[in-house]
This record gives sequence, structure tokens and C-alpha cells, in this order.
Amino acid sequence: MDNTFWAKIHGASTHLPLALAGCSWLFDTAGFALARRPAGPQLNVVGYWTMLLAGAGTFPAVTSGLLLTKGEMLDHDLVLFHHLFVWPAFALLVGLATWRAIVGSTTRRRAFSCYLVAGFTAAVLVAGAGYWGGEMLLAN
Amino acid sequence: MHREIKALAVAMCVSAASLAGMSVFAQVLRNNARATSHAQPPDTSWPGWKSVPAPEAIAEGGRLFLNSCAHCHGADARGDEGPDLHDLEMSDRHIINVIKKGIKGEMPSFAKKHSDAEIAELLAYVRSLKNDSPAGDDQSMPQ
Repeated sequence: MDNTFWAKIHGASTHLPLALAGCSWLFDTAGFALARRPAGPQLNVVGYWTMLLAGAGTFPAVTSGLLLTKGEMLDHDLVLFHHLFVWPAFALLVGLATWRAIVGSTTRRRAFSCYLVAGFTAAVLVAGAGYWGGEMLLAN
Repeated sequence: MHREIKALAVAMCVSAASLAGMSVFAQVLRNNARATSHAQPPDTSWPGWKSVPAPEAIAEGGRLFLNSCAHCHGADARGDEGPDLHDLEMSDRHIINVIKKGIKGEMPSFAKKHSDAEIAELLAYVRSLKNDSPAGDDQSMPQ
């Protein structure tokens, strides 16, 4: 397989976790804020499934990226900046998705508020990785 | 809270295992890329390998070039049916492999026609072909 193929697959697969991580955080935050209203738990269910999909979606995204760079985990210049966001985002998203899969769509408010802080961090990191990925495209 | 803490421990383990798995996968890809790279170091165990070819080897390589290669690459190695061979940006190992094995549909194999020592002389000659040579192209031609 040449790099053009993996570049296309990487571009197609990265946007799924990027969008879902942000959406999941928004739905969960809304569900957290509206916990006493009927819509609150339902919003958390959406946040739950979007986070699980985001966690699962990181694997094809990262795998295609590694195939594209022939296994370079850091590299240099713009790729380095991209990877400095990618790896923490990947680890955090997989961890958050696992935690959420175990505890379910709703949990105690204190634990859930910690989850929301971590979820926001993951969404920012994924967005940063996407930003530097876009910069690489513009540079070429 | 107990369930959340247990879940946190499991999540951290899964996260670390995922990172480790990707790291191993990356290492396999890097090793594979190195093994197939044209920029890899020369195979110094090859019997024809000489780090600094003698001028006689270059001259002999030029003679062999005229006999075996010039009808495709041109007598001045500037390219004809085959490509220009000046300033080749590929490893010695790759050049040797191309001479010995050929390129399917493009270039025949010379493994049976030339010995390792002769292929080393051909390599020495090809390596002597420089675009920026102050002596000019004519000087790189075999006499």
C-alpha cells in the first residue's frame, strides 16, 4: 500500500473520534446540568454511546496514522506537534471510554464531574491533534 | 464510589495496554520500513563490497558498462531507454540488487552475465558518475 492510500484512510477515520469526543462531552455536560429534568439521563445515554464510539474510533485513526508515517511515533516539525496531541488524546479517550463502559451512562455526581473535566481535556487534545493535522495538509 | 475507583484502575490498565500495543506496532512498522528502505547502509558482507573503489575498478566498470548497459542507459550514462545514472540517490545495496535481479518488464538480470567482482566494478563506475564533477562528463567516460 502506498502512502496516498493510508493518507485517505487516516483522513476518513480521524474525523469520527474528533467529532464524537466533542459531542460526547457536550451531551454529558448538558445531562449533568439538567440532571433533575427528564431529559438529563437521556442526554447522558447519548454521551455514553458517543464516548464508546469515540474510544473505538481512535484505533483505526491511530493505526492508519502509524501506517502513513511508517511507524514514526513523534517525528519532527508539524508531525511532532500533531503527535504530541495525538498520543495523550488516544490514551485519555481509550481510558475514558473504558471507564464509561464499566460505570454505565450515569454515576455519582462527584465522580461524573471528574469525568467531565477529563472528557473536556480529551476533546481539547483531539481538537489540537486535528488542528496540527490540518496545518500539515496546508504545508503540503 | 468503590465501583468508580475500580473502573478507573481498569481504564488506566486498558489505556496503558493500548499505548504499549501501538508502540509495538509502530516498532514493527519502523523495522519493516528500514528493511525495505533504499537508504539503508550497504551490505559490507557482500563479497564484491569495497568501501573505496580503486581507479582501476572504476575504469574496468566503465568498460563493462559499455558492453552491458550503454545500449539502454546511453554511452555517457545520461539515459536513453533507461534512466540517467548520474548522482543516483539510492544505496549501494539497492544498485547491486537492481543489477543482479533486474527490474521486471524494464531491465534484465545480470547475475549470470557478471560475477560479484564485476558487479562491484560496475557499481564503482556508476558511483563515479557525478553531475557536478569538475572534470566534466567526458572524464567519467571509460577510456
